[in-house]
Amino acid sequence: MKKLRQITTVKRHVLIVDDEVVNREILGNILSVNYDVEYADNAKEALAALSRQDKRFSLILLDLLMPVMDGFEFLKKRETTETLKRIPVIVMTSEKESEVRSLKLGAADFIAKPFDMPEVVLARCERIIELFEDQDIIRQTERDHVSGLYTKDYFFEYIRQIELWSRDIPRDAIVFDIEQFHLVNEFCGRDFGDRLLAEIGSALKNELAPMNAIACRADADTFYIFATHQESYDNIRNIVQGILTEFFEVNHIRVRFGLWENVDRNVEIEAWFDRAKAACDKNRGDLTQAFTRYNNEMHSRYMFEETLIRDLQSAMDNKNLIVYYQPKYNIEGDTPRLTSAEALIRWIHPTLGFISPGDFIPLFEGNGLIQKVDNFVWNEVAKQIRKWKDEFGVTVPVSVNVSRIDIMDPELETKLMRLLEENGLSPEEYMLEVTESAYCENMERLIEVIENLRKKGFRIEMDDFGSGYSSLNMITTLPIDILKIDMSFVRNMEKDERNLKLVELVAGIAKFLKIPAVAEGVETQSQLDTLKGMGCQIIQGYFFSKPVPPKDFVPFIEKELERRRGA
Amino acid sequence: MITIEKLNAFGANTAEGLARCFGNEALYLKLVATIPGEGNFDKLKDSIAAKDLKAAFEAAHALKGVLGNLSLTPLYTPIVEITELLRSNTDMDYKSLLDTILEKKDELGRLCAD
Repeated sequence: MKKLRQITTVKRHVLIVDDEVVNREILGNILSVNYDVEYADNAKEALAALSRQDKRFSLILLDLLMPVMDGFEFLKKRETTETLKRIPVIVMTSEKESEVRSLKLGAADFIAKPFDMPEVVLARCERIIELFEDQDIIRQTERDHVSGLYTKDYFFEYIRQIELWSRDIPRDAIVFDIEQFHLVNEFCGRDFGDRLLAEIGSALKNELAPMNAIACRADADTFYIFATHQESYDNIRNIVQGILTEFFEVNHIRVRFGLWENVDRNVEIEAWFDRAKAACDKNRGDLTQAFTRYNNEMHSRYMFEETLIRDLQSAMDNKNLIVYYQPKYNIEGDTPRLTSAEALIRWIHPTLGFISPGDFIPLFEGNGLIQKVDNFVWNEVAKQIRKWKDEFGVTVPVSVNVSRIDIMDPELETKLMRLLEENGLSPEEYMLEVTESAYCENMERLIEVIENLRKKGFRIEMDDFGSGYSSLNMITTLPIDILKIDMSFVRNMEKDERNLKLVELVAGIAKFLKIPAVAEGVETQSQLDTLKGMGCQIIQGYFFSKPVPPKDFVPFIEKELERRRGA
Repeated sequence: MITIEKLNAFGANTAEGLARCFGNEALYLKLVATIPGEGNFDKLKDSIAAKDLKAAFEAAHALKGVLGNLSLTPLYTPIVEITELLRSNTDMDYKSLLDTILEKKDELGRLCAD
């Protein structure tokens, strides 16, 4: 901050208010060394000078006993005027009683009469100006402009301050958000959403003041509250829910709360709210309860996930993260023929053992780390395709997953092309899978990215088709090369007529688009026969093989080569 | 014309007064020269005569600040005394104290006029 003041070379303006010429001139002589000084004979004149817009004063030096309007009256007026409150006042007095009274009325400091040595007076003025300028910067940055609550950084900082003095008082971390808030912005406009957040912020401030609690807007519609422990937070819920009902004139827009009661002081402050947030997220879609408490089960899950996040990099470095390959067979002819493979990630953790992709993929999709995993897989796969090509003289095209976050990566195309170049491969030897749900979000961007990749020669598979909500109209315009039928439909098609019809429908769409349909999760001969009957060309599933490590994939290649030689 | 030597002879703590003026002798002497004409001396005298102790206190208090800042000790000392008495509304005869103050003021006036 000091540096900032050194950069601003313009002299600050200081106003001396005193009816005695001698005092004014002595003080003016001292202060003019560092400041641009103005004078007023009494408080009334001072108010007139301060109301001028052309000058911003950094300090007021105020005598107390003056004719027309005295210093105390000025201080009282200042207390109720926002613009004046931002200018610090140093009172000049020789009376102890007046010192106390003026400090209570908001004076920042006092200078005794007769004045101290000039150096002391200057130092005091400088210190008070610095203090107020710092305070002003804090005042302007500590608040979120939308809600009027603290910003997240200041919120955590204030908690740290509170905790310095009262670590033995039980306190709670509370997180709440509004379900489906993104739809509010989408349907009602951002202004409406902002007004709603402002209303919540203002109501919270009023409610929290007597509760000995502070709050911030942490992100979009997510609010954090730090409060002295109380049994129930229904008061807050009722207020927020009331605002939602009032804004939407309906009562199904729901606010959900996560709560970690009596936070553990051995854990970092940020983690208190991560845990309360985990509880809040757990509350998703559960209409039976507004509050979810962070509990042991959640704690175990949280710790497990934290371990995975922490260990991801070492898992990649130490090859605990392994790419498995599941073969895909073309079943159009009499004999199924190996056509390609899908890369699937597996994690063998040194202490936790085998970790299901169902545990870590959604976790990493949620926090963005999936991009790291995807990049790792792309690399491994490119090397593997190269290795098999060198060993057997053929390419086994492998499809890899491209997550939603990768689509947003402006470097995506460059990364993939570099990878292929490094391994001496062409885009035709590498296939990219994008899940159907990704197509539903930010479609324009996705189509643009995919079209560019296809122009380069990549083949694009739409994964899990049928599980999302693609409209038929949308499908006909999408740039895709292969349609993959969602595994759950295939598994249930023999048990449930509706699933069978859906598979038929998807196979029909693929035919209409003149692209191959791939069925995943095929386990039995009868499933295979049914799918073949529907015109499904490519099959993947336990019927042929579970996903296997590269060395166990070799026999599939060898067998395929034998068949080719035989043919 | 008033000088530092005359003020020293008068008993003022000119070193302190000058230091408060950042060593600006011209300013210090200019301000000292305004003291004999300072209206609060008359206000003090008239208010005491009229037994208006509140007004007398205000005048004394104002003088105390000014004289203290200029370190005019011979005037400052009795002014501090009378200010405290007036602050506590002491019912007494202020004449002798007031005379001392006015004598010293006149003495300073003469020094300035010489």
